[in-house]
Amino acid sequence: MLQHFDPNKDYGTPARLSETLVTLEIDGSEISVPEGTSVLRAAALADINIPKLCASDNLDAFGSCRLCAVRIDGRRGYPASCTTPVAEGMRVTTQDSKLAKLRRNIMELYISDHPLDCLTCPANGDCELQDMAGAVGLREVRYGFDGENHLEAEQDHSNPYFSFDPSKCILCSRCVRACDEVQGTFALTIDGRGFDSQVSPGQNAAFMDSECVSCGACVQACPTATLMEKSVIDKGQPEHSVITTCAYCGVGCSFKAEMKGDEVIRMVPYKGGDANHGHSCVKGRFAFGYATHKDRIKQPMIRDSIDQPWREVGWEEAIAFAAQRLKAVQAEHGRESIGGITSSRCTNEETYLVQKLVRAAFGNNNTDTCARVCHSPTGYGLKLTLGESAGTQTFDSVMQADTIIVIGANPTDAHPVFGSQMRRRLREGAQLIVIDPRRIDLLKTPHLKDAQHLALRPGTNVALVNALAHVVIDEGLEDTQFIAERCDTQAYQAWRDFISDQRHAPERVESITGVPAEAVRRAARSYAKAANGAIYYGLGVTEHSQGSTMVIGIANLAMATGNLGREGVGVNPLRGQNNVQGSCDMGSFPHELPGYQHVADAAVRGRFERAWGVALDDEPGLRIPNMFDAAIAGTFKALYVQGEDIAQSDPNTQHVEAALRSLECLIVQDIFLNETAKFAHVLLPGSTFLEKNGTFTNAERRINRVRKVMAPLAGKEDWEVTVALSNALGYPMDYRHPSEIMDEIARLTPTFSGVDYDKLERLGSIQWPCDERHPDGTPTMHVEDFPIGRGHFAITEYLATEERTNGRFPLLLTTGRILSQYNVGAQTRRTHNQVWHDEDVLEVHPHDAEVRGISDGDWLGISSRSGQTVLRARISERMLAGVVYTTFHHPGSGANVITTDSSDWATNCPEYKVTAVQVEKVSQPSAWQRHFHAFDELQQRLLEGHIQQPAPEAGAQR
Amino acid sequence: MSHSQLDMLIQMANQIADNNTHHGSDAAAAHYVATHLHKFWARSMKQQIIGYHDDDGNRLTPVARLAVRQLASGES
Repeated sequence: MLQHFDPNKDYGTPARLSETLVTLEIDGSEISVPEGTSVLRAAALADINIPKLCASDNLDAFGSCRLCAVRIDGRRGYPASCTTPVAEGMRVTTQDSKLAKLRRNIMELYISDHPLDCLTCPANGDCELQDMAGAVGLREVRYGFDGENHLEAEQDHSNPYFSFDPSKCILCSRCVRACDEVQGTFALTIDGRGFDSQVSPGQNAAFMDSECVSCGACVQACPTATLMEKSVIDKGQPEHSVITTCAYCGVGCSFKAEMKGDEVIRMVPYKGGDANHGHSCVKGRFAFGYATHKDRIKQPMIRDSIDQPWREVGWEEAIAFAAQRLKAVQAEHGRESIGGITSSRCTNEETYLVQKLVRAAFGNNNTDTCARVCHSPTGYGLKLTLGESAGTQTFDSVMQADTIIVIGANPTDAHPVFGSQMRRRLREGAQLIVIDPRRIDLLKTPHLKDAQHLALRPGTNVALVNALAHVVIDEGLEDTQFIAERCDTQAYQAWRDFISDQRHAPERVESITGVPAEAVRRAARSYAKAANGAIYYGLGVTEHSQGSTMVIGIANLAMATGNLGREGVGVNPLRGQNNVQGSCDMGSFPHELPGYQHVADAAVRGRFERAWGVALDDEPGLRIPNMFDAAIAGTFKALYVQGEDIAQSDPNTQHVEAALRSLECLIVQDIFLNETAKFAHVLLPGSTFLEKNGTFTNAERRINRVRKVMAPLAGKEDWEVTVALSNALGYPMDYRHPSEIMDEIARLTPTFSGVDYDKLERLGSIQWPCDERHPDGTPTMHVEDFPIGRGHFAITEYLATEERTNGRFPLLLTTGRILSQYNVGAQTRRTHNQVWHDEDVLEVHPHDAEVRGISDGDWLGISSRSGQTVLRARISERMLAGVVYTTFHHPGSGANVITTDSSDWATNCPEYKVTAVQVEKVSQPSAWQRHFHAFDELQQRLLEGHIQQPAPEAGAQR
Repeated sequence: MSHSQLDMLIQMANQIADNNTHHGSDAAAAHYVATHLHKFWARSMKQQIIGYHDDDGNRLTPVARLAVRQLASGES
């Protein structure tokens, strides 16, 4: 891979950006480096390795170990090279007898209070202390080992993933500084003074009882075995590694999968990763054990009806069974009676193939993706206003932002690595504006300089963004030059007339949003007056009845203030799952072919028809909720679902279940028997990201390679299964490797026209558009123009949702995610992450709890217009009074039994964030939960083959 | 709780219309709504809403009704 630095080397201190170069001489070699660079780094860049222990190039220089001391002509003493910046004409000596003695003396002191158990130490072979002892030529410890020491210090094994052994600690503070500077949690400290100094999570707490979020930065930073992965302690050092991309959130972190044979020993965040720069979160770093969990489906299975036991069969029989069923359904019910759902967890290549299968082999456009229920309004809103369905920036752009608005997103939980980067910028002094009903953890960022929290009522986003825009116009804060040069002036004038109306004034909107007018005015000024204002948003924007309108409102606001087209600004949707961006790019939506090209466009369709050798339907297909309705109505009969759990993730669970039960053929391709698979007739084993090749595209449009590190447990990568199904249906697909699929994507998708696997190898990653104009990709979009020419302001009239509170349902439920679990939890629930969140709870404001007599831990019945479920109560002040909150990581919680069919007007994205509910104390699970547990038990038994196949009877459940 | 397919289509059409009343006149709004339906709705959904409009149509708002009429006549 092409890198500006060697990501496998530690240069000692961070890079410095400066146009001014400074030339110096180190050990007789001349080198020029940017001004501000440390002598240690300059030496490393010249391949001169100065011994070091407390320095690392992802941490600011600390200068505590003194091992990196050097001699500088004309200067007194032996300065630490890590804390000494280069100077013009400087002459540095890194090795001489005096320095050698000094370093040996330092090492001697370290080793005098260190266990001499190198041969049995888990860090043996990967220990910087050991390396440095060798480098300085330590041969004896004159002090002996009988003095006072820390060798019996108490170990802490409380964290499920790593151990803390203070006897091996050299107090270099790298772990403490990594927690502060890289992660931004400040959970660790050096407690005590002098000889009593020790690394301490919180105030002498165990790691699990501290603020630690288990990101692993401290473990990675530790130069000894003090902080060590338990998997390495158990299994020893890995012997080879493969660079790949995390399959959790939309940050798309690069990792080195460190292996022993075909077993992953640990996942180490890759410093060369352009999205994460060597940082990680608890999910990507540690929660990979699900890949080899005993629940993995390893054999294809089929059954005639969902009350029958599964029958294990070979791939050929399963594929033939599925194809025959699909053909039979189409023969009886018509071409449009079947469809498919692609996955935002699978690769671009796999997603592309599923939509191709639907369009070319099924012969209709009934393809959709789980992005339907998260970011479909982003696609609609950004395409309408900016001309492209994608975020505008790199993640690194946030480091140039002066005012950061975060709307309906919780980056420290849902996009943790980017959340850490954002916290770094906030510590540097950027202003923060959070628009969210909840007080998210970003507002608790240590050393946060300036933060504003607009705690609006759920469902009033559009009213608030209109009020912000009104202030921009009302107070003359718009960027008239940007608007005149870059935007459609007629549309702007219409929008300006609309937004200037006094009904949008913060003082008038206050009664709707609940946000004080002056707070809105202050926030608008902070954003509009900032040199660089950046907006980041999440599902708290999109999952509303006016989700698309809100996205449009955000784009209007950015255009009006000229906050587009350069670093530090932009409109940035934070994508929930790893490949939401990619699944949308790859033509998963029923109205769009890959690259957001509409199916009704004859020229576009013609290109695909020629390439695919088949006529394509020119009408959009059904969206997921439309498929459910059609299934219940009896016109939609078969569905192929790859890597998606619609039974748990989609709203109004009972409606979804009714739809799934209505199908004559449900084919589920997944790594586990998920909730959807319990209604399936064909279960095709899926492969995890560790078992296949391909690419993911993250929230910054970055296409990253996914590389196979172990063989698929069931023998096939997911793309191979789709190919087999297509061939069995009579539509031939012939690919030998996902790179060939990408080549086809590039031929048919203008924004991907310059992408291929060789280039990905060379560049490491590519941000699309990647074409003739931008052969190496496009980090920042809309720099010169918009894909639609000029930016389009669109009217955003606020309409209150029809999902309203009343006497029967007086509270508003909003749903979300937490750090340790991921989406429906299918992966993370099968890891030790369970220790942080083993059940979904209902967070209730103290006022709402008090009037209902609710105490922490009580069982609460939550009722909505859709259904009822029961969760345990947690009293919390994170929400406003009148708002309750829960997560949906555990299927038995039934969070989506409560959510309704209310959806975004433009895209049908469900309104997960607003459900009118009532809450009361109860003593037993809801009727749905009792049914869920009985059905789950039955399906588990059917999976294990514990029920004999019953004789066929009329009216048996499909 | 479940709903009928037609109920949902009527609700969706009305919701699209309600969110597009700002286009100047009912006719202009209806044109926008009809274009949206044409662009995003599946063939079967269009046929059902047109069928409902032709049979009854009372539960459609005036703009939605006008839009479905335009959709049926191919004016979108």
